[in-house]
Amino acid sequence: MFEKILVALDGSEGSQKALAAAVELARTFHAELHSLAVEGKLPAYAATLGEVDEAKAEKDAFFERIDREAVDFAAQHGVELHPKKMVGDPADRVVHFAEEGGFDLIVLASHGHSLAHRFHLTGTADKIVDHAPCSTLLVR
Amino acid sequence: MTELWVAVGIALVALLASIVSVEFGVSIAIVEIVLGVAAANFFGLETAPWVDFVAAFGSIVLTFLAGAEVDTALLRAEFKGSLLVGGVSFLAPFVAALLFTHYAAGWSWKAAEIAGVALSTTSLAVVYAVLVETGLNLQRIGKLLMSATFVTDFGTALALSLLFIKPTGWIVVFVVVSALMIWLLPKISPWFFRRYGDRVIEPEIKLVFFLLFLLMALGKLSASHAVLPAFLLGLAASRLYTEHDLERQRLRVVAFAFLTPIFFIRSGMNVSLAALGANLGLLAALFGVKLVAKIGSVLPLARGFVGRDSVFFTLLMSTGLTFGTISSLYGYQAGIIDKAQFSLLVTVVVASAVIPTLIAQRWFRPRVEEREDG
Repeated sequence: MFEKILVALDGSEGSQKALAAAVELARTFHAELHSLAVEGKLPAYAATLGEVDEAKAEKDAFFERIDREAVDFAAQHGVELHPKKMVGDPADRVVHFAEEGGFDLIVLASHGHSLAHRFHLTGTADKIVDHAPCSTLLVR
Repeated sequence: MTELWVAVGIALVALLASIVSVEFGVSIAIVEIVLGVAAANFFGLETAPWVDFVAAFGSIVLTFLAGAEVDTALLRAEFKGSLLVGGVSFLAPFVAALLFTHYAAGWSWKAAEIAGVALSTTSLAVVYAVLVETGLNLQRIGKLLMSATFVTDFGTALALSLLFIKPTGWIVVFVVVSALMIWLLPKISPWFFRRYGDRVIEPEIKLVFFLLFLLMALGKLSASHAVLPAFLLGLAASRLYTEHDLERQRLRVVAFAFLTPIFFIRSGMNVSLAALGANLGLLAALFGVKLVAKIGSVLPLARGFVGRDSVFFTLLMSTGLTFGTISSLYGYQAGIIDKAQFSLLVTVVVASAVIPTLIAQRWFRPRVEEREDG
């Protein structure tokens, strides 16, 4: 049913559940599994370069860690995960990557780790669902 | 309100600002200014002499860090273009704001000079965040933007230091000691860092603080401002900090944890919402003067340098934050501008950090190859 699955990762508890669901689906359907972690926006309107540099370094380290953990988790369940990282707007990047890669399912958490996203009615998940080129599975 | 309760109030505002900044992805500086405005206008948070003193030192440390963050190699590589664009980007809004506030708004010449300096700035950090996020920092447009912003910053620091000098014998001492420091720091600091560096007691930070306090003291004696020598001292130390990045991080930690929050919160506390409400027309006009002067001067040049991305380039050159706030706070604390004038200038400065950036990112973002890591 699904041959190529994309799971969106952001390091939140919800995205862990999305990863678990994606791994299970990939194993069930013998599908190819890819992950995409998008480093979101840097602090807007910063006062010093240091603030920007350190935020970027923190994001780099954070996303490298979640990529590594996701690959290990998938491997433990007998699935090979192909991780990818990008910079920019998470919704735009996920939709664009799914289009380019010819995916037939996107798996993602219903909300991310920041309060701003959690309370934002038109958050990342909503935007992805609205614009995705394929089926989407929202994991709660 | 006792001094200790003032400290409690400011510490609480600083903590809340950090939480809001992390949760909403907005720079800590703007949140600190906004919460400072709210704390003073709605909750009666007052200031104390030590707060003003720490805020003034925070502004000098910020200026030093701005100098230390200059990429001198980049500046050399784009020297001609950045000198032209950065110079015009400083001069045109400076003259426009000076003339507008004096002749149209009736401000004194000295107050108008503060307005000119505060509204002439371009925010290097605001520009840098946009460039890193889009990957444009690696392309020519990004490099030219960064180096032109260094030049505009330099113009601001120069103007702030020179315009308000009262000629006394101390000015000679100030200039000579500043020049000696700027010349000696890169020479002695490699030895100093080797001999005393990498310790938890941080002799390197103490050396920098000593030099900056000395500059402030001499600046005050000579009725000038330490902002230019502090910027140049940072510039002189920039290569050293590139080689000792950990030291730069430690200095940032001290600055961000204690000094800059007090500077930005104090700046916000000075803003009077009542004064803003009574001068909404002037507020809009000042913002318009800054934007029109930047666009009118930078856009024609940018067309020659970056072609179809010239509007994006110009809008980012129209941003301002740190130096605009520093200039305004200096003017207020030196008694050159009053609370209403300060409120107007800081509000325009904050608006100029946000509005041109939003417009540039939303409608004029250059098409770039997607940046991928991993």
